[in-house]
Amino acid sequence: MNLAEGVQIVSFGILAVMMLGSAFGVVLLGNVVYSAFLLAGVFISMSGLYLLLNADFVAAAQILIYVGAVNVLILFAIMLVNKRQDFVMVPRIWIRQVATALVCVGIFALLGTMVVTTPWAIVTTMPVGDASIVKIGLHFFSDFLLPFELASMLLLMALIGAVVLARREFLPEATLEPGDADALTLPERPRELLTTGRSDSTIQ
Amino acid sequence: MDFATLAAQLNAGTIVPEGIVIVTILLVIVGDLIVGRSVSARWTPYLAIGGLLLAVLALYQRWDSTSPISFFGEFNADNLSVVFRGIIALSAAGTILMSIRYVEQSGTSLAEFLTILLTAVLGGMFLAGSDELVSVYVSLETLSISSYLLTGYTKRDPRSNEAALKYLLIGASSSAIFLYGASLLYGLSGGETRLSAISAGIATAGLDQSIGLVIALVFAIAGIAFKIAAVPFHQWTPDVYEGSPTPVVAFLSVGSKAAGFALAIRLLVTAFPLVTEQWQFVMTALAILSMVLGNVVALAQTSMKRLLAYSSIGQAGFIMIGLVIGTDAGYASMVFYLMIYLFMNLGAFTCIILFTLRTGTDQISEYSGLYQKDPLLTLALSICLLSLGGIPPLAGFFGKLYLFWAGWQAGAYPLVLLGLVTSVISIYYYIRVVKMMVVKEPQEMSDSVKNYPAIRWDLQGMRPLQVGLVMTLVATTIAGILSNPLFTLANNSVTQTPMLQAAQKPAVQVSKDETVRLPIAL
Repeated sequence: MNLAEGVQIVSFGILAVMMLGSAFGVVLLGNVVYSAFLLAGVFISMSGLYLLLNADFVAAAQILIYVGAVNVLILFAIMLVNKRQDFVMVPRIWIRQVATALVCVGIFALLGTMVVTTPWAIVTTMPVGDASIVKIGLHFFSDFLLPFELASMLLLMALIGAVVLARREFLPEATLEPGDADALTLPERPRELLTTGRSDSTIQ
Repeated sequence: MDFATLAAQLNAGTIVPEGIVIVTILLVIVGDLIVGRSVSARWTPYLAIGGLLLAVLALYQRWDSTSPISFFGEFNADNLSVVFRGIIALSAAGTILMSIRYVEQSGTSLAEFLTILLTAVLGGMFLAGSDELVSVYVSLETLSISSYLLTGYTKRDPRSNEAALKYLLIGASSSAIFLYGASLLYGLSGGETRLSAISAGIATAGLDQSIGLVIALVFAIAGIAFKIAAVPFHQWTPDVYEGSPTPVVAFLSVGSKAAGFALAIRLLVTAFPLVTEQWQFVMTALAILSMVLGNVVALAQTSMKRLLAYSSIGQAGFIMIGLVIGTDAGYASMVFYLMIYLFMNLGAFTCIILFTLRTGTDQISEYSGLYQKDPLLTLALSICLLSLGGIPPLAGFFGKLYLFWAGWQAGAYPLVLLGLVTSVISIYYYIRVVKMMVVKEPQEMSDSVKNYPAIRWDLQGMRPLQVGLVMTLVATTIAGILSNPLFTLANNSVTQTPMLQAAQKPAVQVSKDETVRLPIAL
């Protein structure tokens, strides 16, 4: 994709304004649902920047993963936590807000200085553009094979972990032999869920 | 590039130990699925331990391999990584021994616990050998995400939920910071991801004194220090250690920490040789803070798990002495101390689990008078705690001696003196527990000990606990006196690792004969 210089600058400007505006909205707005929707705006403008950089695959992945999965998940979480709670204003909240702003501005200044002063090695070759998917695939199956395959184990474990956390617990006494379960005890087990009904489960 | 040449270039034989762990994970999942939960609980733990020991055996065969670089430079199976992978696998085997009864008793299922634990081991083992930023990050995340899940495994316990949430939030932000540092390294080096190519790329670009490199270093250290729980990145440790299931704490304090140290050595030595003085300075500051804060705050603890949490922060500080001095002896003493720490810390946690299972508490005051009721548990816990404190002739003494000796040789006098002072402080709080158990009169016994149940090892899942207890007890006792094999192993792992030898500064090189002769001279 080759856009004229002027078009690139204009679209960069629009995307940057969109991104900064929605990012400030995420942080400053009081209603968490607005923040969540504006976060999607940040992600979408970011994928626009990737498109400008000729990184089609990354732009598509950005929208699919961050907007389609992460952001929808955040919205689901907000909807499912259906608890209205009135926030009590902490006294002297402005001290925290000022401190946060100072730290953020400081980090921004540091990173900004670093980016400006460093003579980055700019790639001069033409970006591959549409052929990038082929190239990424080649890398996945040659020199990045190990992390690619390890990610499958990571996902398997995450799947099992999610099932473990989400499934309904059935009462476990059946796995221990009769008279065996109450021979020992642990503080980790909430007493009210015991089916044996004996609260002091240490035997003499 | 056709398939045959690709397969030959991968040199996949270096990750056979990890392959064994993966096969074990799959067998545990599928076996549990087929035979059902109550039947599978009888054999899956032993299958997992068998798989881990087989992996250690496979690691032993890969010692001194002639072509350690594999997967196009993604993975470096040098001797240092072999030792660290062995430590991680053994720590998981010890953790499984102590977790069988614990998990059953806490009313959660065992096979899933084993699966997640083994995946954490897998992440840790890959992390110990990863030689490339993407591999480092993916294996770091495999280790971290499994650790979060393990921390929240007893989900009916609110403390476990709290611990998991805290660990997840702090861990996610620290790995984001680490990722930012990694992306800076990628940019500064002109698009390199292999650790050795990164430092070369930065040197070619003439950026070795740039502010960007320092920022990348600080961000990378933030990620590493979170894993090894060094002050001031330790805030998660006490709450997570107190809230999560005790076997998980044992793994986090040994296996996960060893993986963090392996990453620290490899990343700092290979990717940051241009700023060696800076990273040694930062790590020195972290070591001083960890030693002081960990050991001083541990004095005031009343819960045994919290005591060991702070003590493990202090121990990480001691181990970092070996990292900052940057000599052969320094790295070897780190490895040696980690091997000994494996036995004594796992032993201490086995004892705590046994006591908690029998009395339902882990308050230190409840241990008073335990000697009258359970001499074996008292003996094992006393030996492990004294060894952690560094009392001769136990293993911990020789580990600390080697660390301090290496530091003294390299001229890090203030650090070694601080280490000596803080280890004296640590002896105080370890001895307090031992005194509580041993010297109390029968009438001073705590209520829990008065109601101590009859000791039965024939209950389901208790036999492995006994085996773990006795084995760590024996190892902690004799590993000090007969430490020469471990000592030679630690030394060889460092002297035969090209990465560390290339990074040696000739001015502080320690003579090898002197190093090997140390235990005999004692």
